[in-house]
Amino acid sequence: MKKADYLTGLALILLSVYVLAESWRMPRMEHLQAHPLSVPGIVPAFLASVLLIFGLILVGRSVKAGGHRLGLSREGIRKVLSDPGNLRLLLTAVLTFVYAGVLVGHTPYSLSTGLFIFVFVAVFEWRRGMSSREWTRVGLAAAVLAIVVAAAVSYAFERLFLVTLP
Amino acid sequence: MGVLIDNLTLFLKAIGGFITPWALFHMAWSTLLGIIIGALPGLTATMGVALITTLTYKLHPDLAILVLICVYVGAIYGGSRTAILLNIPGTPANAATTLDGFPLAKQGLAGRAMGVATSGSVLGSIIGMFFLATLAPLLGNYALKFQSYEFFWLAIFGIVISGHLTSLDDPIKGWIAGFLGLMTAMVGQEGIHAYERFTYETTQLMGGFALIPAMVGAFGLAEVLSVMRNPPAEMAKNPQDSVIPRLADIMKYKRTIVRSGLIGTVIGIIPGVGEDIGAWVSYAAARRKSKEREKFGKGSIEGLMAAETGNNAVVPGAIIPVLTLAIPGSAPAAVLLAAMFIHGIRPGPMIMVESPLFVYQVVAMVFFATIAILIYGIALTKPLLKILAIPRTRLMPVVFVLCVIGSYAITSRVFDVWVMLGFGIFGYILREMKYPMAPLVLGIILGDLLDKNMRRGLVLTDGDITPFFTRPICIVLWMITLISILMTIEPVRRALQRLFQILSAR
Repeated sequence: MKKADYLTGLALILLSVYVLAESWRMPRMEHLQAHPLSVPGIVPAFLASVLLIFGLILVGRSVKAGGHRLGLSREGIRKVLSDPGNLRLLLTAVLTFVYAGVLVGHTPYSLSTGLFIFVFVAVFEWRRGMSSREWTRVGLAAAVLAIVVAAAVSYAFERLFLVTLP
Repeated sequence: MGVLIDNLTLFLKAIGGFITPWALFHMAWSTLLGIIIGALPGLTATMGVALITTLTYKLHPDLAILVLICVYVGAIYGGSRTAILLNIPGTPANAATTLDGFPLAKQGLAGRAMGVATSGSVLGSIIGMFFLATLAPLLGNYALKFQSYEFFWLAIFGIVISGHLTSLDDPIKGWIAGFLGLMTAMVGQEGIHAYERFTYETTQLMGGFALIPAMVGAFGLAEVLSVMRNPPAEMAKNPQDSVIPRLADIMKYKRTIVRSGLIGTVIGIIPGVGEDIGAWVSYAAARRKSKEREKFGKGSIEGLMAAETGNNAVVPGAIIPVLTLAIPGSAPAAVLLAAMFIHGIRPGPMIMVESPLFVYQVVAMVFFATIAILIYGIALTKPLLKILAIPRTRLMPVVFVLCVIGSYAITSRVFDVWVMLGFGIFGYILREMKYPMAPLVLGIILGDLLDKNMRRGLVLTDGDITPFFTRPICIVLWMITLISILMTIEPVRRALQRLFQILSAR
């Protein structure tokens, strides 16, 4: 956690400095004869100052605990990537991103939704050495779930809630 | 006396308004759905209320809020089933329930444990409901005295206290989450000069980040990622004994019930703290006061009763500041607040002036939801076990599909789907690094309040900050905030404790 805290602290410092600079550059509304304390940059600058202090505390604390020695190695990265939990996480992130970030809005909604559910179920329920009978059962379950959910969600939102589907 | 009769009349009128087949139908399905959402590991009350909000756009505002409150109450109760049977809290609010619920189930007393959870949840809701009915009108009238200075401190107080209590091991992480939430709220057109901050000339960002897609991401997608990463849970045991609550348990632990109900309500009123803390604090207090302290953690009925009474009492407690100050007491209450705005309801200090009936309608909604959890708690144990057996590989893609369409449906913008994705990944990373989500959400909500009131206050005094520190309510708020911060510094904490000891000795 100390390494994560060190990196978070650095990210907070960078964010705060950026927000402070942006706040300083925001208009002072002098042409509107606005009160100098009502200008748009004052609250972001206040918040950035507080976050800067928190960032410095995080960095200081983690440096004291040795968190600045990141010690990244090829072996360590390989270990993280080969962990089954991390692999499942990565796979979920990729599938959800491809569905929500790429397919939705570019392909017919029902089709992309059905495809996402089918692939998600099939990928996560696949096991090495599955018999063809087991595989057919998983495929069938994935297909039924995909068709039912895609049809039900599309119908509910388009017909009942009158939403134009993406 | 006259005021009491007026309030009672309004309450009865509100109750009568919901005794229609259509309202009862909505009550029945939404509470059941809430219980199922709460019982399924990986689906939280906040996610449930956020997702169901997207299904209520076309409903009449009263019915929409009724549905959401039923889902909220149902989810907090439903989580106890999983905590007792699987040793996994169905929602974070039920974490304390596992300590004694699961040992009871292992002893073959799963049914009795569920009965205790039902009675605790019902009584907790009733205690909280009583305070919602009595305190909300009082606080509403009191809140009319609040000016910019008080609202500024209320925002800071909310973030600091919520950050502290939701991250007791390392409060700075709670505060960072809260201030990141406030910073997030700075994006978009500001409310005094209509200047667009951090929008980078993108029209999509002019209105800032919409709360519902952000919450659906932070609580929905982040939860999907988290559930898929962790190994699957083992299946539940089948309870053999009766699940009907016992009057003897209630009578024996009546003091614990009242104490936990009060603690839960107070924790609920504190901005952004929530049901999990309500359960833990009630549990700790019950353990401290118990004559059977040694049983705690090994299957104590009293411990289970305290945790379940405490978490359900938070629900009405968290609605009190929503109605009177437009500040949420918990993360699901934050979604409820956003839903109220979507449906054209304006909670806040003016509520008792503009629509006093609505306050009592909300009390009536909690009342009906409580009756529904009692009925379902007794009648629906075995079918619920079947639902718990749904594999996560089939449940999670369906949840994500709802996250996507729910985020999109509010304004029909694909941009909101991206907001959901962004907040989901951001929320997951923060959660993995032990940053609490509740202060982040509270920050997003309070950002606008802080922004407008800090600047308005400074303009009114022409830069003089004295009123921020000298007005009576401000003094209370800044002193509690300061003490909360100072208490995290070890030498200061020890010195303050010594000082309190000396003062109390005198």
